[in-house]
Amino acid sequence: MNYPRYEYSAENELNIFEFESIGKKGNITKIVQYTEMSIKGYFNLGFGDLDFKTREVNDEITTNNGDGQKVLATVVSTIYSFTGKNPEAYIYATGSSESRTRLYRMGITNNLEELKKDFYVFGLRNDEQFEPFIVGEDYLGFLVTRKK
Amino acid sequence: MKVYELNKAKIPVVKINDKLEEFRGKILFPKKLALANEMLSRVKLPALEISK
Repeated sequence: MNYPRYEYSAENELNIFEFESIGKKGNITKIVQYTEMSIKGYFNLGFGDLDFKTREVNDEITTNNGDGQKVLATVVSTIYSFTGKNPEAYIYATGSSESRTRLYRMGITNNLEELKKDFYVFGLRNDEQFEPFIVGEDYLGFLVTRKK
Repeated sequence: MKVYELNKAKIPVVKINDKLEEFRGKILFPKKLALANEMLSRVKLPALEISK
């Protein structure tokens, strides 16, 4: 991975990851979760900020901690760990809003060359067709799976 | 695996964090999961051949 990333930890099953974003607003705990979808073998990637008071994770908050690129590189990095344990998995990711989906797109774009060495990367176009990810295209969501 | 191999590995060494066990079995992003399920239920899933 070309971009700096945070170290992270996980629970035993490697479905949930945690790392600390360190920036101008302080330390913010990020949680990444892979959840199996209705389609067998497909997993939804979610990530957000952990609220220490409620112990809930908010994926709609805009953190603006000044380290977005590093956070996204870290989230992308968890894909390696998750698919290390689940090599057949398809991972689908979309943002909770258009702006967050654009953030995901940026994260993939920034890490695309590395990702493409090991993964097939698809974008879901507005006409609801998947295509191999093209830099600069708008997508509704993203799908990655490990190359065999 | 030797240390230099560990450092070069794309798969980072993952520390196990017992605190995260509190979330196991919980769906932390239910809205996003529902949206993803709904979306993928109506689209044609990609064939891997097209990206080779």
